Amino acid sequence: MENKTLGISNVFTAGLWRENPILRLLLGMCPTLAVTTAVKPALTMGLSVIFVLLCSNIVVSLMRKLLKPHLRILMFTLAIATFVTIADLFLKAFQPEMSTVLGPYIPLIIVNCIIICRAEACASKNGLFVSIIDAIGMGIGFTVVLCILGGIRELLATGRIFDIPVMWQSFVPLAAMRMPVGAFITLGLILGLVNLITTKKS
Amino acid sequence: MLKAIIEYIEKSWLLVVSAFIFGLLIAVTNAAWQPKITQNKIAKLDSLMNALIADAEFELILSDVPVELGRGKTAKSNIYKATANDGSCAGFCFGAEGSGFADKIELVIAVDSEFKTIKGYSVLSSNETPGFGDRIVEDYFRNQFIGAPAAVLNLTKKGDETKIDDQIIAISGATVSSTAVVDIFNNYLEQIRAKLIAEGKLADGK
Repeated sequence: MENKTLGISNVFTAGLWRENPILRLLLGMCPTLAVTTAVKPALTMGLSVIFVLLCSNIVVSLMRKLLKPHLRILMFTLAIATFVTIADLFLKAFQPEMSTVLGPYIPLIIVNCIIICRAEACASKNGLFVSIIDAIGMGIGFTVVLCILGGIRELLATGRIFDIPVMWQSFVPLAAMRMPVGAFITLGLILGLVNLITTKKS
Repeated sequence: MLKAIIEYIEKSWLLVVSAFIFGLLIAVTNAAWQPKITQNKIAKLDSLMNALIADAEFELILSDVPVELGRGKTAKSNIYKATANDGSCAGFCFGAEGSGFADKIELVIAVDSEFKTIKGYSVLSSNETPGFGDRIVEDYFRNQFIGAPAAVLNLTKKGDETKIDDQIIAISGATVSSTAVVDIFNNYLEQIRAKLIAEGKLADGK
């Protein structure tokens, strides 16, 4: 029993740090670079990915014994596309402003490697419970890193966090942080920092 | 033959059944939320038009009007008539689009009831460069259009932004985006006016 609990907590923490989709696996780079101009779109994207990841992992895990090897990718894509469409409709109906800001990046979750990777590596081989824990862990890991990136960029580009001014009055905003170059530099520095930490640890 | 059919069904039944269930799920969700989505779009357009022509009711008078964008491209535009509280025509609003620096720029343009003066524009959607092209949403650029003649507009690089005439001063560092906005005006004003006259709607406004 203790071993099983240990196994589950391992599955959960894998997504947070050891196998973090962005920091360790470098998956889902497209939304990571594109929607992290501020915390709010980053958080919305993260929550949408958690929803899609959770639903697709549940569906794939439930039908894993029925899957034919050569049709499995097709089945994964079908399930993922359905939940992404639902998430997209939800945002259009209840968060129209965020939906406009995120634009095509919500529908693009369909081709996000994190989701298909978890379906293939975890949900198609494990039971429902493990798949759910894996989806939550990976989803939170993805969302937290997106929010950190979004936070740094929003702070340096506008001097605000969640649209609330937090910097001193004479602070000069760096417009470049809102542009793609800001995303690449911030992500590069964070990846470097993470590599430094892990190298020192080992 | 029968064996082949059975084999085919054995392999693909899950895919067929899942596609049906997932399709149904999307159809149900869409049916439930589509009215809200449509309502959001109308509310957004309404608030944009209200910001251009205050205290007026908007009525769709011509829909899907084809507008030539040049280079063989055409777009469709909806024309709204604004009616003031006293029942008189307060002007016209129409959707307009054109190519920006990075992506399509979509505007809502308002003109007065005689189609002689521009009442302003709002940006419905744009994806211009942050800090440069995206300044087309800012008042200092938009205000140059308010009160400008609804005729051919010219873009210049230097001048007085506060002077209202047919000269529009470009946003420094964003000539492409500024040109795009002016081109949209020049493209649409003439064609929409012609359409309104052809349909006899402009005479009504006088």
